[in-house]
Parts: sequence; C-alpha cells; structure tokens
Amino acid sequence: MEIDVRKKKADHRLLDGERKTSYLCLIPSCIGLIFLTYVPLITVLILSFFNWKGVGTLQWVGLTNYVRLFTKDPYFIDAIKVTVYFSVLAVFGSILYSFAIALLLNQKIPARGFFRAIFYLPYVLPAMAVYLGWSWLYESNWGLFNYILSFLGIGKVKFIGSPTWVVPSLALIAVWLSGNLIVIFLAGLQNVPRVYHEAAEMDGASGWQRFRYITIPCMTPIIFYNLLMSLITNMQVVTPALALTQGGPGNSSRFISYVMYTYAFKDAKLSYACAISFIFFLIIAVFTIILFVTSGRWVFYQGGND
Amino acid sequence: MKTNKLFFALLFAVLLISVAASIVAAAEPVEITYSYWGTPDEAASVQAVADRFNAEHPEIVVKVMAIPNEEYVTKLNTMATANELPDCGIMNEAGVLDFAEKGLLADVSDMYAGADSMPLDSITFKKDGKPVAYSAANEILILYYNTDMFDAAGLPYPSATEPMTWDEFVATAKKLTLDKNGKNADDPEFDAENIVQYGAVVDNWTWQLEVWALSNGGSWFNADGTEVTINSPEAIESIQKVADLYLVDKVMPYNAGLEDNGIQRSIVSGTVAMATGGTWNVGTSLPGSVKYSVAPLPVMKKEVTICTGGPQVVFSQSKHQAEAMEFIKWYTKEENSWDNLIATGIWMPILEKYYTDEALTKKWIDNPNFPKYEDYKAAVVDYAMNYAVSTSWYYTPHTNEFIEYLRSILGPVWDGTQTAEEAINGGYDYLCSILAGE
Repeated sequence: MEIDVRKKKADHRLLDGERKTSYLCLIPSCIGLIFLTYVPLITVLILSFFNWKGVGTLQWVGLTNYVRLFTKDPYFIDAIKVTVYFSVLAVFGSILYSFAIALLLNQKIPARGFFRAIFYLPYVLPAMAVYLGWSWLYESNWGLFNYILSFLGIGKVKFIGSPTWVVPSLALIAVWLSGNLIVIFLAGLQNVPRVYHEAAEMDGASGWQRFRYITIPCMTPIIFYNLLMSLITNMQVVTPALALTQGGPGNSSRFISYVMYTYAFKDAKLSYACAISFIFFLIIAVFTIILFVTSGRWVFYQGGND
Repeated sequence: MKTNKLFFALLFAVLLISVAASIVAAAEPVEITYSYWGTPDEAASVQAVADRFNAEHPEIVVKVMAIPNEEYVTKLNTMATANELPDCGIMNEAGVLDFAEKGLLADVSDMYAGADSMPLDSITFKKDGKPVAYSAANEILILYYNTDMFDAAGLPYPSATEPMTWDEFVATAKKLTLDKNGKNADDPEFDAENIVQYGAVVDNWTWQLEVWALSNGGSWFNADGTEVTINSPEAIESIQKVADLYLVDKVMPYNAGLEDNGIQRSIVSGTVAMATGGTWNVGTSLPGSVKYSVAPLPVMKKEVTICTGGPQVVFSQSKHQAEAMEFIKWYTKEENSWDNLIATGIWMPILEKYYTDEALTKKWIDNPNFPKYEDYKAAVVDYAMNYAVSTSWYYTPHTNEFIEYLRSILGPVWDGTQTAEEAINGGYDYLCSILAGE
C-alpha cells in the first residue's frame, strides 16, 4: 500500500514537470497549425457559401457557387481533366526517372557525389529561371529543340504552343525537376539488407531476379511515400501556367490552381475561388485515400508482424 | 525642496521634448505612394518625375511602387481586399470601370476644371456617360517596319499618308518572307519549314484584335457597350484574316497571343520586316540597333485605329487624398512628364492642342528619339486625331474577364484546329453573360 502511494506520487510529479515542458514546446507549432492551416481551411469553406468580391459586404448564396462550377463555368471541367492528365504523366514519369537514376547512382562509380549533385541541382534552381530557360528550348519557331529537330529532318513541333503537346512538354520539365525523389530513393536503396542479396546470389539468382524479388519489395514503402508526395505536389501545379503558358493554347494547360488564381486575384471573385479550392481539396483527398487503400496490397513493411 | 526642483526639471524636459516632437511632426512631409507598371526604362523615367515633384513640393514625398504589367490588376485587387491600396497610381485600362463600380476610385472630375484644353474625348473613361477617369497618356496602334529589309528587297516603304490595304499588306509581306535559300513566299519552291525572315507580325495579344474588327466594318460591342457584337461576320472574318497570316499566307511566325512582346520578338530581334504594335514601343523598345519607321495600320475596309492609355487615379482608400490629387494634377500636366515620358516617345500627349497646333507638335516629336518627322506626324499624330476610336474598355465593364475568356476560346484558332467562326459562335453566349456580369 505505502509503496503504491509513493510510486503514484512520484509518477505524478514527474509527469507534471515533463508534461508542462512538452506542452510549452508544442504551443508554437500548434499556434502555427491552427492559424496557418485550420483557420484558413474553415474560412475558405465558409467564404465559399457567400458572394464576396474582395471589397464590400458579404451576401449569402448557399450552394450557388458549387452548382455554377459544374454547370456554367467554362474552365473548371476541362481544368480537372488537364490537371489529372498532367499529374498522371508527371508522377509516373518522375517515379520512373528518379528510381532509374537512383539505381545508377547506387553503383560504385567514380565521382558519385558529383553526379548526385548534378541530378539534385534542378530542384534547387529558382522556378522562374528554370521556366524561362525551358521556354527558349521549347520556342515554336526558333527554339533549341526545334533547331535540333530540323537538323534531323523532322518538322518543327510547337511544344508549348500546341494543344496536344503542351501538357507532355510541361510534364517533362516536372520530371527533370524531380531531384528530391532521387535522394529519397537512394536512401531507401541503401537500406535494402545486404544479407538478402548475398543469400540470393548463393542460391544462383540473376541480377534481374534479385532486383525484382528483393530490391523492389524492400523499396515499396519508399515508392509509396514518393508516389504520395509526388501526386499531391503535381496535382497542385501552377507555376508553369503562370510563368509560361497562362492556361496554354485555349484551355489545354489551364490547371485547377491556375483557374483558382485567376478567379481569386485577377477577377477578384474570392468566394467563387474558395469554392474551387474546396472542391480541389476533396479531389486530392479522394486520390490520396485511393492510394492509401490500395497500398495495403503492394506495400511490404519489413518491421511489421505479418 | 530638492524633490520640487527635480520635479520641475523633469516637467520642463518633457515639455521641451514634446515641443520638439511636434515641430518635427509638423515639418515631416506627408508620404504618398504611387503605383505604375513599365519596363526598366519607364521605371527610371517615372522615378525622375517623382524626384522632380518631391523637389518642388517639400511637404509631400512621393514613393513610386513598380508592379509588372501582367500582375498589375491582380496586385491591386489583392491590395484592395487588404485595404492597402496605394494613394494613387496609373490604373490598368481593363480594370478601371470595375474599380469605379466598386467605389475604389476617388472623384477626379474637377481635374481639368478651367483648363485651356481638354483631353481627347476618345481617351476618357465613362460610366453611364459620365467621365470617371482620364488617360494619362494617349497610345494608338500603328505599323512599324524595318527599313533595311525593305531596301534589301528593293521595295518602296509603306506610305505614312496612304495606308496599305490588307491585300497589299499581305502581298508585300510575302515578298519579304525569305527561306534559308533566299526564296520569298511567292516563289513556287518556297520552303515553309525553313523560314529565316518573316514578312509581317500582326500582334494577336487579345485586346489588340479589336482594331481589326473595326477595320473590317464590324465591332466587338455596340455603341453604348450594352451588347456583344463580336459574332458579326465582319468581326469573325477579321480574326480569321489575322490567323491566316500564319496558316495560309505563311508570312507570320506562330504565336499563341499571350503577352505584349510583339515588337520585341519581331522588329527589335531583326527577324520580321513589318509588325503592328502600340506607339509606346518608340520609347520602350526601339530603336536598339534597328533602322525603322512607322506607317498607319493596313486597312481592311475602314481607316481606323484604337487608342488607349492608363488613367492616373486616386484610390478612395487613401488617407491622403488631397495630397495624392495634387500629385496627379501636377503629373498630368504635359510639361511635367515631358522630358522623361513624352519626349522619349513612351507617352503621347492627351490634350487636343498638341495634335492641332503644328508648333506644339514640332516641339513634341522633332527630336532624335522619334523616327522621321513626316512619317510620325502623318501616321501617328494626324491619324490619331482623325481616325482613333476608344478601345472598348473605356465604356464596357468586366473587360478583364471578357478578354481572358476570348483568349481561351481563340487558342485553337491560331494553330488552325478551329476556325474563328466556330470558336466565336461557340463562346458567344458566355461572352454575353460576362458583359452582363452574371
């Protein structure tokens, strides 16, 4: 009895001091989370039910903005298609490209650190400089790519001036920019246990078999993480539209974020843009949930108990 | 006793400090911000004007705020929501009537009360027939041409007094479009895949397309801006003709019509013989190393050009409206922006007298910044006086949205995926709903 009471008292005191410190340390990030994430999220949802144009009074309109988005808006439905198309291309392209480069960089080649830096470099370059440079590569009449194509005897391609080629062209830039995925894949590759490879070699497995049955299953958590991050980032694409195409020829590169930007800041239709923003949030959430739900089937966690 | 002395000493010190502070406060000049857009050359000019004002008016300090043209309305909209608009500024033409509708512009109707000359009527912004703003400068669309290329081809220059017809324009452009073997577009062995010099660029930056509808006898809106008439056959045909310069005549490089770089990527870069553009290019982009001159726009059916110019406005959110109004009044007096903006060719004057009085015209354009005097006088000064009409944003609201939507539906027209007729008829209903503000 006495021992129990003493232990309880000690626990209580210990927890008090620790608890206080931990709460104090958590307060700054909580404040940030509340005011920079949750408050804006709820405000956007509430604003989307009004008719606000930046200045003046608020007027309740209920679901009118949402209905208008799907019935009367000339940009939104196309924007969803274009954004999904771009995301699919950019995500699969980035994953394949970064995985391949990571595999290559994992070999013992001379000046490995130098090559790693080279492939990571695009990720740290300022966005406007990148897009300005690529705009000259892609220029429809006098760009470098068209110059090379004419050398090879193939006709000129309009790249970002053509409705069919603009999204693949922008996806190519996104793939080139995916240096951050390479670094994460490399870290994952380092963590594939050597013992599996050695055991398989002793049993006579070829390089390809080892890759397919050891490397890839061990990498699935990393692949899943990169897939998720890449999907969320690429769905929110807006910089190429702002810097290069302004929605592209017609509407062929008019991404959802760009539509939202135009309505919110050029036309000052803030409530309408809030409605777009909220629907966009739901779309991304749906894709994320799909990814999580299907992940159970192909992701293999080594530390788990299955 | 000692505490008493200390107390009075402290009181005296406080009194001294507060008197000093109030003297400083009274002498402190009122600070106002002025926003504008422009190239770095324009920026330097505007700063020079502001410095002159600050020197002449020590009680007001003007701080200039540069905002890029593409983001101008965006930035102002954001500042308006945050209640942080500058005190005054030059306003983007497409946003003027919408800002007036929201009550963001202060009343400037007495700006020209008792003046000896009024601004041209074509550059006055009107809401329900009443003036709400006056352009700070006049600008019209004209044709620029590279004199060296004409000399090399042995062709006569476009006349500054007799504008070419559209067919003559296309024929001349064909003679000036050269492939890498030196053959021009009339030659049966012309290699359209390897063009090194283009004959013409008609800038398809969306708002500028309105001039071709007018030139062809049509228009985008009716006279009082209440109806959209862009689906008339004349307006549709005018856009198709511009697109055909690339698609059919092969004299124009491909462009999706996204930004105002018509003159930079054509005349200044030395790759195109003729190009349409605004008169501000005389000061902002030209001459560089290119020898050029000017002529009126080619004529489809009617001689016409459109005029525009951002107005100087005072924003109603300003806490120093009187000082801001004083700066604006001072700025819009031609003498004050003369050296930096008018004499360099960036701005054209807005008062009628500069177009009608030859002595004043000479004072304006007889200097090395301008092309040949006779050319500029006929193609710009006289033409503006006789044939310039207001761009539609002087009297129609929601122009930003209208132009943005028009640009999106014309995209497929420039590369031939759709005809102008299909594109405009397809988007006509939505264009009408934009004008109505739905």
